[in-house]
Amino acid sequence: MAEFWNLIILNPMLNVLIALSALLFNSFGLAIMALTVIVRVVLLPLTLKQTKSTKAMQELQPKIQELQKKHGKNREKMQQEMGQLYKEAGINPLGCIWPMLVQLPVWIALYQSIMRALATTPENLLSLAFHVYSWPVVVQSIPVSSQFLWLNLGENGDLILAIIVGGTMWVQQKMTTAPSADPKQKSTSSMMLLMMPVMFAMFTLMFPSGLALFWVVSNIIGIAVQYKVMGWGYLRIRPASQPTKVGGK
Amino acid sequence: MKHVKILFLVIFFFLSLNLVSCVPGGVEPAQGWSGVACYDGMLYVGSMDSKIVKVDPTTPSIEWSYTIASAPSQGMLSCGRTSALAAIYGTPVPTEDLVYVGAYNGKVYALNRDTGYERWIYPKEGYIGPIVANTVVDGDNAIYVSSSDGRVYALNTSYGEFRWSSEPLSEKLWTTLTIKDDIIYLSTYENNIYTLSTKNGNLLPRTFKADAGFSSSPIIYQDTLFVGSFDNNLYAIKVGSDGLLWKFPGGRWFWSTPVSKDNIVYAGCLDGKVYAINAETGDLEWEFDTGSPIVSSPVLDADLLIVASESGDVYVFDTNIESNDEVMVPVRTMSINAVIKGSLCVQEGIIYVRAQDNYLYALDIEKGLVTWSIPVSGKKES
Repeated sequence: MAEFWNLIILNPMLNVLIALSALLFNSFGLAIMALTVIVRVVLLPLTLKQTKSTKAMQELQPKIQELQKKHGKNREKMQQEMGQLYKEAGINPLGCIWPMLVQLPVWIALYQSIMRALATTPENLLSLAFHVYSWPVVVQSIPVSSQFLWLNLGENGDLILAIIVGGTMWVQQKMTTAPSADPKQKSTSSMMLLMMPVMFAMFTLMFPSGLALFWVVSNIIGIAVQYKVMGWGYLRIRPASQPTKVGGK
Repeated sequence: MKHVKILFLVIFFFLSLNLVSCVPGGVEPAQGWSGVACYDGMLYVGSMDSKIVKVDPTTPSIEWSYTIASAPSQGMLSCGRTSALAAIYGTPVPTEDLVYVGAYNGKVYALNRDTGYERWIYPKEGYIGPIVANTVVDGDNAIYVSSSDGRVYALNTSYGEFRWSSEPLSEKLWTTLTIKDDIIYLSTYENNIYTLSTKNGNLLPRTFKADAGFSSSPIIYQDTLFVGSFDNNLYAIKVGSDGLLWKFPGGRWFWSTPVSKDNIVYAGCLDGKVYAINAETGDLEWEFDTGSPIVSSPVLDADLLIVASESGDVYVFDTNIESNDEVMVPVRTMSINAVIKGSLCVQEGIIYVRAQDNYLYALDIEKGLVTWSIPVSGKKES
């Protein structure tokens, strides 16, 4: 299984990443950014499907909130009504999860490629020998340079990068998080809105900066795609008590 | 309910990241692959749990062990119990009264060879960048070491006083330097062979530049420098003229340091083969496929060539035997059933190797058997 994974997914991605660094002025930072863009472009149909599904779910929010008010204490009835609502709107509530699951192996391979190419320990460098092709453009770039801007891509704990990762993730999430009139739900969604960015900012401090660079680029592209599909969404300041239909720019 | 979902998401993501970084195909922590040094009937080796150990092979038992300090933390999400310890990649270098070794915590240690007591540590405070290469002790009471900060350091052997450090020569220096006629020869990952003066560390004008970085440490034999490269070639470079004599292609990187004798260079390759190459022409004399990558450097003992493969097989070749159609057959094959990455040593017909299971093995060449093995997690702290 591991060999199949390496042969079909990891090795091609790793070698393209290293080759890109050679083509982009021997900058591994630029290579990470370029490959993230390429992967996001390839996965764009899935991302769009996921975003559209999320948007459709959001458009149903006012109706869902009405149902919650109406059947708040009767969970069974509420589930039934919500199922009916999804059916009428032609929405699969899991529609935004499947594209995400399909993308997961690609993100894992990209993560592994970045970590392997950086070869932060002698063991990693040694194991790189069994993953790289003998393309001249690849062998001439090994090991990749880990210096990029002010960062050492192989080292952990850059505070500025952590703030950028957290910030971009917050923006991306804020665009799709509907405000709620219910104070209980409001506090839950506010917490969730903060939790993921804070968590990823913490990961940035724990993982090599190369991975955080990938998160930043990925977040920015995610923001751009969401903007294209649903405008700034809930990023625009609105009165929280008036749930609004999401739409155009 | 929503809180539970959030908590589930957080735990799921945290575990996923940790799993991805720990499963095969993920990222390995620094664990070290220290080799064994034979000196005056005794053995000196670095363990997987950050100890320098002296072993008496006659009993066999640990005479003393010295625990080196932990490495600076590399983050919370790392795998393996040794990731927080200071890994030892270099083989200890025993001399008349001291044993020297550099560690991944960025310090060089000099220990009393009899007692294991610490004589000096350089630097006393802080560190100079993780050390992966072997330390090299040369005449004039000097010890030289290359560091991950890209510099070469020269220290006094007796008390570790700083002599000089070179300018940064590479993003990181993980290869061992070699010295000939007061000149240091150093291979780098940035395609260069540098030469430095042992007196002051100044760069000398003779520099060789290749198309790819160098994966192995260099050796010099009969005024020729031999070194492996990331482009899967073994390079032969004429010392002095800095001209390329020949390149020999392997199936993968030549990672281990080659050895040479009687005009033949013996090089282990990560493609699993050991190659015997004519030192003058670069022509293949013979090869042998071990079937597993060769990470550990081959060793010569009189007329015997000893090669260990990563899978734990140890092969003994008689260099006097003529090869049959460029294929050589080992005179002995032994197996320890453990991963071998560190260099081995030979003393009185016994091969000593420390495997990645943290055991030290003794293999009798004559009998073709493993005679004993002991764990090198030291017990007697010095």
